[in-house]
Amino acid sequence: MKIPKRTLRSGGIQGSRATRWIFVGPAMLVVICLLIYPLLSTLMYSFTNKTMIRNDFDVVGLQNYIDILTDGDFYSAFGHTLLWTLFSVLGQLIVGFIGALALNRVQNKVAKNLFRIFAIIPWAFPAIATAMTWKWLLNGIHGFVPTLLRDLGITPELIQFLSDKNLVLPTLIFINIWFGAPLIMVNVYAALQTIPQDQYEAAQIDGASSWQSFRYVTAPHIRTVVGLLVVLRTVWVFNNFDIIYMITGGGPAGASTTMPIFIYDTGWTGRLVGKASAASILLLLFLVILCVLYFTVINRWEKEDK
Amino acid sequence: MKKLLSLSLAAALSVSLLAGCGGGGGTAETDNPPANTSFQPAGEAGELSGEITFWHSFTQGARMEAIQAAADQFMADNPGVTINIETMAWGDFNTKWNAGITTGDLPDISTAQNTGEVVEMLNAGVLVPMDSTIDAIGRDLFSENALADMSMDGATYGIPYYSHAQVMWYRTDLLEQAGLEVPTTWDEFYDAAVALTNPDEGLYGCAVSCSPNDLLCTRYLNYYVRSGGGSLLNDDLTANLTSDLAIEGINYWVNMYKNCSPAETINYTVNDHATLYYQGTTAFDFNSGFQISGVESNRPDLLDYISCAPLPKMNEDDPYYSAEATHIPLVTWANSEHPEICQAFIEYLYQTDNYLDFLAAVPVGMLPSIKGIDQNEEYLSNPTVQQFSDEAAIITQAVEEGTAIGFEHGPSAQAGLLTSQGVIEEMFQDIITNGTDVETAAKAAEDELNEIFATMVA
Amino acid sequence: MKKLRRFSPGGCFSYVYLIVLSVLCIFPLIWLLVSAFKSSGEMLANPTKILPMEWTLENFHTVLVTLGFTTNIKNSLIVALCTTVIATFISALAAYGIIRFFPKLGNIMTKILITTYMFPSIMLVIPYAVVMNVLHLTNTRIALVLVYMSFSVPYAVWMLVGFFKTVPIDIEESGRIDGANRFQVFTRIVLPLVRPGIVSTAIYVFINAWNEFLYALLLVSSSEKTTLSVAVKTLEGADILNWGSMMAASAIVVLPSIIFFCIIQNKIAGGLADGAVK
Repeated sequence: MKIPKRTLRSGGIQGSRATRWIFVGPAMLVVICLLIYPLLSTLMYSFTNKTMIRNDFDVVGLQNYIDILTDGDFYSAFGHTLLWTLFSVLGQLIVGFIGALALNRVQNKVAKNLFRIFAIIPWAFPAIATAMTWKWLLNGIHGFVPTLLRDLGITPELIQFLSDKNLVLPTLIFINIWFGAPLIMVNVYAALQTIPQDQYEAAQIDGASSWQSFRYVTAPHIRTVVGLLVVLRTVWVFNNFDIIYMITGGGPAGASTTMPIFIYDTGWTGRLVGKASAASILLLLFLVILCVLYFTVINRWEKEDK
Repeated sequence: MKKLLSLSLAAALSVSLLAGCGGGGGTAETDNPPANTSFQPAGEAGELSGEITFWHSFTQGARMEAIQAAADQFMADNPGVTINIETMAWGDFNTKWNAGITTGDLPDISTAQNTGEVVEMLNAGVLVPMDSTIDAIGRDLFSENALADMSMDGATYGIPYYSHAQVMWYRTDLLEQAGLEVPTTWDEFYDAAVALTNPDEGLYGCAVSCSPNDLLCTRYLNYYVRSGGGSLLNDDLTANLTSDLAIEGINYWVNMYKNCSPAETINYTVNDHATLYYQGTTAFDFNSGFQISGVESNRPDLLDYISCAPLPKMNEDDPYYSAEATHIPLVTWANSEHPEICQAFIEYLYQTDNYLDFLAAVPVGMLPSIKGIDQNEEYLSNPTVQQFSDEAAIITQAVEEGTAIGFEHGPSAQAGLLTSQGVIEEMFQDIITNGTDVETAAKAAEDELNEIFATMVA
Repeated sequence: MKKLRRFSPGGCFSYVYLIVLSVLCIFPLIWLLVSAFKSSGEMLANPTKILPMEWTLENFHTVLVTLGFTTNIKNSLIVALCTTVIATFISALAAYGIIRFFPKLGNIMTKILITTYMFPSIMLVIPYAVVMNVLHLTNTRIALVLVYMSFSVPYAVWMLVGFFKTVPIDIEESGRIDGANRFQVFTRIVLPLVRPGIVSTAIYVFINAWNEFLYALLLVSSSEKTTLSVAVKTLEGADILNWGSMMAASAIVVLPSIIFFCIIQNKIAGGLADGAVK
């Protein structure tokens, strides 16, 4: 509480210690209170047998970690998370990237704007609306898509997108691609606009094919943006709870249970806060390792760009 | 802008400071001994004043409004009192109060989903005895069984608000078209359900729903096991899913799912499930009188074609049984700062006029938990009560002779956990989805339940 | 040359691709909207019929009047707006501070911020619940605004750092020569220069706060205070599952968001590219 007082007095002094801190202080407080503290708190719970319904708890050492690492459900949830993340991000990237390239070729201003607005619609869908709309479209009794497929004779009976264990995860991934591709498309498109036109012209004069001009002009210019988008999407998809929770809740028989759903089930429904905390820590650890790898690559690109 | 900054700074700082203090210890509030020392009964104490929170799961319009109306009137009569009513979905309720013990977000009064949940709450030590309220309303007006289910060490911790029981519902028109009799045994029931299943016309015999967020598989399995004289709990309150009867029951319902149920119900909860019958998608269903209001609001044209019968038996000449009766209780929470308001308001809810208004929100669905109400003229004048008097009689018998799931061994937290943890539902999902062998899956689920019992029951 | 390109096979493919994409993108919205105007009998009787035989406002009436969703709309707006204003402000200060005062540490600081963006919300929510209890903020909208800082601020700082990098230091120097102090320079000179960046950032923050579900579900229980997303989810758990009301409720959540997006869509596009790259 001392900091603001001092800085108010010394506000005018250039770059004084206090001024610096009033700029970055609030954000640092947010990080410390809302992120570091809960992280430490979770770390602490992960070594205890705390449950939701009791406020006293004992330290149990590594027991929770042992429990989790010997729990088949954990590995199944972890596997689902990897599939869910990999295919969602890849799908979003491919669909969105091609969309951006296509949009870049469209010359007609009206058409361009219309496509942009249409494509951005899924992204404007709040998770709950995404969930409800798709649940209703894919409903296995009265849903539009299964009924249409049956009536057209494509499937013999109503196809069970959300209750067949083999279809549920691919269906969720499809919905996630639907939801996330526009973000990639719009951002990649914006990045494409920053490429100086003369470089393309120069490439053309040198007799470059369109693939070559993509490879040597387009790609280097946008790879940092794409890399960052991939990081952001990966983190987001990896940690995403809402979409799966609201559409299937992780079912049937855990066929769509990802790590966040597993943690929710353990901590909130199963009340085992200690075990859920340990699972959270493992999840975070994995994500951090993944992102360090990503950033190593992106940093190298950034250096090359300079 | 500066004002905003300082505000947010102050807020952020106070979070950090207080978080530091509160970090490890958790909350002590709920550990306080219940303040059930004598307090003045309502009305005589003069002015009541304070704020109480009432959680209930009556998300359906009419019931919600009836409670709100009663609360509004109570607040008008007692200007010092504020009653905050908060509604939440059935499925979220258990999670919410469980988390509330850690988060401190707990009500003063709430409903519970059944008597089993009251025992779970007792096990967590969050309730106070309600004997003085019960005595004020009249202890002899309530079913002894219902009160006994919520009693521990001589004190009663819940008051039944309304009652209902599980019976078999069917569609008279569909049975007639197919030339079928109302089934009385499980075999007949299965045959009838198969005969009425016709997915091309969007019609299914009987839905089997397995969402682990709900208790339907436990409920269905319990019907079967109870009809054969067994139980899902052993006498020592460990789980029993591997008896011959239980295995037979699991196979019965898995077959029912495969042959008579929309595949999608594997992820359905109670409400999704019931809606199928309300909308005429299923020919049979198991539920209480709630089916009537459900059908009435979804497909009023079908209202004349629904009726109910007792649950199917194992053999034709088995004696009558009731597998599951539910008393939806009101409970008072130990953290309440105003037990006197809680008591006064609960007594107010049970005043005949208020009580009748509440029951009329879902006639026959909510049967009175107080004796004599079913003879009340106003109660009997309700058109739904009149139209469905036979059905009401069948359900009433099931209420009187039944207990909550697992309560055939007396009230226990294990019985509550049996329904609230979704273990049996996961077992069904596993068998159906992964083709796991029934006995293996049953054994695994039994072990899991016993482990949960060991961890959760103090 | 431009004319030639328009008729090239690539251009043709572009149109086909974008048209297919647009149909896929827009169909769920259309289905959501028309379903919201159907009676529940019709929804179930004709699953593949797109337009309602009879347009009805019954579902909207149920949701807005009977179920009182207006309160939830208000809650969502309050929470999202407060989050946007506070988070954008804190983040703008921080981003500027990092660029001007800690240029060397800046890279590490933004990395730390982005690391925190990785924290799964499901992990954070139990500690939050405990802290809110200690602060007596459980079940309040303030709790949500505070908690929403956890995901808004790191992301917003990260985005804004990119924008602030583009502000030339000379302009500030000239400002300070005129006698303005750091804050005056910041508010009068720097902020207007990066206004597009601030706007895009604020939009991201707003949308994320408006859409947030998990914290709203687990930290606020009072139906008076729940946000729209949670209210719609609760509807699903209501005694009777009514797809008509659910579609109407979803339409109410989605429409403001879409209209908002369409109005500012030009600005969003710049977002990440302008911000993060330069």
